[in-house]
Amino acid sequence: MPVAALPAHAELIYQAIGLKKQFDNGKVVALRGLDLEIRRGEFVAIVGPSGCGKSTLLQMLGSLDMPTAGTLNYRGSSIPDLPDPAAYRSREIGFVFQAFHLLATFTVVENVQIPMFEGKLSRSQRKGRAVELLEAVGLGHRLQHYPAELSGGERQRVAIARGLANNPAVVLADEPTGNLDSESALQIIDLLVDLHRKLDMTLVLVTHDLTVAERASRIIRMKDGRVISDELAHAH
Amino acid sequence: MTFFTIVRRSLTRRPVRTCLTLVGISIGIAAVVTLVGMAWGYEKGVANQLDAVGADVVVSNMSGGLMPKVFSESLQAKVAKLPRVVDSTSILMQMLSVEDAPIMMISGREWGGFAWSRMTVLDGRMPKDGSEKAVVLGSLAAEVLKKKVGDTVQIEVEELPVVGIVDGHALMENGTIFLSLKVMQEATGNEDKINFVNIRVPPNTSKAEIELLCRDIKGIFPEGRAMVSTEVVGTSQGFRVIRAISWSTSLLAIIVGVLGVMNTMLMTVFERTHEIGILLAVGWRRRRIVAMVLYESALLGLLGGLVGVALGVLGLVTLGASPGVRGFIEPDLNPQLMLISIAISVVVGVLSGLYPAWRSSRLTPSLALQS
Repeated sequence: MPVAALPAHAELIYQAIGLKKQFDNGKVVALRGLDLEIRRGEFVAIVGPSGCGKSTLLQMLGSLDMPTAGTLNYRGSSIPDLPDPAAYRSREIGFVFQAFHLLATFTVVENVQIPMFEGKLSRSQRKGRAVELLEAVGLGHRLQHYPAELSGGERQRVAIARGLANNPAVVLADEPTGNLDSESALQIIDLLVDLHRKLDMTLVLVTHDLTVAERASRIIRMKDGRVISDELAHAH
Repeated sequence: MTFFTIVRRSLTRRPVRTCLTLVGISIGIAAVVTLVGMAWGYEKGVANQLDAVGADVVVSNMSGGLMPKVFSESLQAKVAKLPRVVDSTSILMQMLSVEDAPIMMISGREWGGFAWSRMTVLDGRMPKDGSEKAVVLGSLAAEVLKKKVGDTVQIEVEELPVVGIVDGHALMENGTIFLSLKVMQEATGNEDKINFVNIRVPPNTSKAEIELLCRDIKGIFPEGRAMVSTEVVGTSQGFRVIRAISWSTSLLAIIVGVLGVMNTMLMTVFERTHEIGILLAVGWRRRRIVAMVLYESALLGLLGGLVGVALGVLGLVTLGASPGVRGFIEPDLNPQLMLISIAISVVVGVLSGLYPAWRSSRLTPSLALQS
């Protein structure tokens, strides 16, 4: 298996060793002993066919689900053993989902404020930060709109702004362009690439679209719950 | 946006369901305010009446009923001889349907006794003597019966002329028809029978001395009971029954409210599994999710309590003005009762939210997001 030359000087953010995940009492195996390392500042694309385990891996990186076996560390600490997984998700991680997962009864600016309730910002600071982020993703004119009033691309921009709400060290994006037309998809991936550069964050993006994956600095290919290749992207 | 905005928004997203839940809980609270308010009003009315009559000790045989059993009027003579009794008077009181009024208090009072002395004649006169077949009406009784001096009132088999309208200085006194004891006994077929002996003791008599007197009375009237007038309401078994009925009926109504809120909150949690998954994914702690559900149910309880108290007050005012109650019970619009009712409603809301909140806190983020 070809392994990409990692920037060895950078801090090790994620380390997975022999990671396994089974569902339904072992009838479904999503991950079969996966090994992986991701360093700070990388833009990693995880690609593979449907059911290869890439989304399951992303959920475990974000502590939304727990591995059945193996080791999964974040900055040297075991993710399954984190004393406060909510604090990890709140402070360290920003999620961007394929289905956007915005709250329908809240306006755009309110949706972006939702993650900030676990922080220490005041009411006005929360709103100020949300407005700032929405302006950064080009939605400063849509603050008071509800998600249903936005296009798919705009909703994903809101989701990206929400993912950045607590200034996370890592953004985990699960098929962020999967529900978008090609033009919107291009704009969203441009936005993510731009934000990755500007904000000095680690970006882990799951996709089945190779044109999207090629924008990453490193592409990890998965099949049947295992990594089959790990290499630097041609664009870089 | 504050945390309270999030709580409030989840209740307003389903306005019809929220309103129906509020109706459920507010009916329970309205029942508390109305039933307990009526019971307290009745108790207060009786206490005021005893105070207006000027009795220090009341002898009767309540036997668990609301109106005491009759006993021989000869008891009064025996009681009058006891130490510390400075005055005593016999009364035969009954609640009867009079003409169009479904229920009225009729009080036959020993002629010349102190129970007559505190009334003020507003119109006409008092009966000439103890044998005059006539009645005087409390001002409210006259209003309820639509009678004036010169009219007649049918009491059981007797048709008696109204010779006066009086102010009895208490709601129940004003809602009562008064006549002499002898006429009352004849009209109701209770010759030589009474059901109250009211006693006065010297001013500044100590509580211990009054208790001694009550014990003496118990000695000569074992089947009855002598009670300090200020304690009649608190110790009477009849009033205890009223209190128990009003609270237990209210409790049933509250239980219906609890089930309504619990159902709503469970539906809310089930419907919002996906949303709770999102909140968990963006870093909300489970205790914040629990707090959100409990705040929602507490808010439902608070709103239901406020609406319920308003409905209850409306019910009390309506009942108080109804023909069967007017002049008989003055509903107690007690702020303490209203605050208790609102507090009960909030507690009910929180309790109803406990299980749904627990359910919401058990959700796995990845599964909740897939729902």
